[in-house]
Amino acid sequence: MFSHRQLRLVDIMYVTRTLHFARNNHVLRMKFVLLVPSFEEFDILSFQVETNSDAGKFIMKSYFENYESLHDSSFEDFMAHQLSSSLCQGIPDNWNVGVRLSVRELSLVGEGSHRHLSSSIRLQIGAASIPKLPAHLCEVIVIQRLPLGVFADPFELQNPHKHKAFRDIAVFGDTNLELPSFQSNRSAVEFHIDAGFNILFMQNNGTEFNLLLPLHARYQPLDESGYSVVEIGEPDMLMRCSVEGKQHKQSCLFMSPPNEKAKSTSATVAWKIPAGMKAHAGFVSVITFVTALLSTLSIVYASMFWSGTKVSKT
Amino acid sequence: MEVRYTDVDYLVFSDAASLMASGQSPYKRTTYRYSPLLAFLLIPNSFTSRCWGKFLFSASDLFVGLFIRIILKQRKVPDDLCTYSMLIWLFNPFTFTIGTRGNCEPIVCAMILWIIICLNNGNVVQAAFWYGLIVHFRIYPIIYALPIIIFLDPRFFRSGTKPLLSDWTSDQGKARQINSELTDKCVVCDALKSTFTRSRILFGLISGTVFLLCTGFFFRLYGWEFLHEALLYHLTRTDPRHNFSIYFYHIYLNYERELSVLEKLISFLPQFIVQLVLILCFAKDLVFCFFVQTVAFVAFNKVITAQYFVWFFCLLPLILPWSNMKLKWKGLCCILLWMGAQTHWLLWGYLLEFKGKNIFLQLWMASLLFLAANTFILIVLIRHHNYGPVFRQHTDLKTTKTT
Repeated sequence: MFSHRQLRLVDIMYVTRTLHFARNNHVLRMKFVLLVPSFEEFDILSFQVETNSDAGKFIMKSYFENYESLHDSSFEDFMAHQLSSSLCQGIPDNWNVGVRLSVRELSLVGEGSHRHLSSSIRLQIGAASIPKLPAHLCEVIVIQRLPLGVFADPFELQNPHKHKAFRDIAVFGDTNLELPSFQSNRSAVEFHIDAGFNILFMQNNGTEFNLLLPLHARYQPLDESGYSVVEIGEPDMLMRCSVEGKQHKQSCLFMSPPNEKAKSTSATVAWKIPAGMKAHAGFVSVITFVTALLSTLSIVYASMFWSGTKVSKT
Repeated sequence: MEVRYTDVDYLVFSDAASLMASGQSPYKRTTYRYSPLLAFLLIPNSFTSRCWGKFLFSASDLFVGLFIRIILKQRKVPDDLCTYSMLIWLFNPFTFTIGTRGNCEPIVCAMILWIIICLNNGNVVQAAFWYGLIVHFRIYPIIYALPIIIFLDPRFFRSGTKPLLSDWTSDQGKARQINSELTDKCVVCDALKSTFTRSRILFGLISGTVFLLCTGFFFRLYGWEFLHEALLYHLTRTDPRHNFSIYFYHIYLNYERELSVLEKLISFLPQFIVQLVLILCFAKDLVFCFFVQTVAFVAFNKVITAQYFVWFFCLLPLILPWSNMKLKWKGLCCILLWMGAQTHWLLWGYLLEFKGKNIFLQLWMASLLFLAANTFILIVLIRHHNYGPVFRQHTDLKTTKTT
């Protein structure tokens, strides 16, 4: 399709569309070579687009196959032990890829019970490693664990118009939209974002992905102050690439080095949600029933007096 | 904030319909709590146009307008009054948006009005069939069962003869009709004496059979999930989330603990008493009875959402020709009072949901005001209604006076 020649902007756009076409239409193998003269480190990239049998596999799905509900301790165990076996190790050349994923910004946008969690993820890869990476198909996986008091609507996330930048989004855990938080369990949202193109054109300070996740507040447990504060922490991030193994394709994971993963407490966002006050319980119930009673009596009286119904004693 | 025009419920129906089209259970779609019949009706959404359902609901809306005219013409209401009554339904912005937003209530209203037409024509079998179907589809019409049974008075419903409808013109200017049959033995006893008449048994049997057949058929197809979601959920529903009902805050504050049997009974009692009294007083004037029952049912329900208002909006045009109330100024006051109470509630609801302020107490008080407004308007309508039985006696019959 392409021969060795200089790329123009229109060629880059064609490549992007072709990549999406290949992915969406499950094209098995497409190989082309790009010449990118402005790139500092190299000028020839070989890119292979292949379907990856693990590409759609959700990490949270594996988590819920092993655990019943979402707890921070179980999740951290899972990430530490279960996923360590899938880390990219023993790759020929034994190169240290130097992948770093970090949250540049985390904030809550909007007011009231329906808001958006805005997060900005930075991906950095060691410059020496990038030429070796394009032989693989890579995606960035972001897992946003949600606290008990909020939920994400899976049907809203499936809306294709809003979320075409993502390869896949899914919600795991308790997705009941109606129950209050004290009768619910936690949930998590997993995003899969195509990283190939970003890696291709990565600058020195890395590349950024912006996520906007619509969230809704559940009804909170009663609180004396009238508000309940819910804290949402940073997401967990990793990169998954498909590797040409000896016999067949497989995928492996890149995670940020452990010392980088220590989350600072300032990286959480707090959401103040109105909650009922226990002090109201007594008089609210009494006045509710008294009002219902008064209403009933008025209607009964009016009906009997004005329906033309005359009780005659004969 | 984007305001979506299409109701969330429409997306739920459409998803359930596409699940059904691919041979799966519509209950795989969470929050689908309707009869599979609705999903079945919306199957063309998947392969013709996504708006098929909306066309269906809007067409039902137009049928309701037509049925209003038919019913009023059956009672020989003058043309101008007929037209005004139809306009009240067709041009009510609340009701015509309901269908176009994708809500299924217009179908329910059309079926209820068709049942009234059949009963007015003396067609008990057809009325019973549609009644069984509508109770399966949407449980609330079960409140009309007793008034219909009382309405099927053997003095009017005799085999071989069509019942005689009393005309609108003869009802006007008459002194308030005294229901002379009501003695200290009460109308229930009177009804019980002649309970087992042909038309009553026929109605009960046919509607019961249709209901059980539909329920049984879908139970066979979809199992307990159908029973839980489509039937039991509605009977036991207590939603702590804010809605127009006066009970919402009480439910939220007590959600963490199990309510005692006494508390559950106390909250059910007002509903039960009001329904019983309204039926006993107004059953002979069937449409008015349906109307007041529906208003009261919605007002005293544990959960009230805006779509429930359509249930009595379709009956309002049918009772207005018999009302002494003038639009200026009593009628206008009632309209403004009802809309004002609703808007007041909505303002507090907006502050809670979209501004995140804790105004639960104020919202609860707004719902108390809304109940007060509904009660007041109901009483005013009862006060100004020209009550009269729908049927009149055949001239060769003697009126029996019970002593």
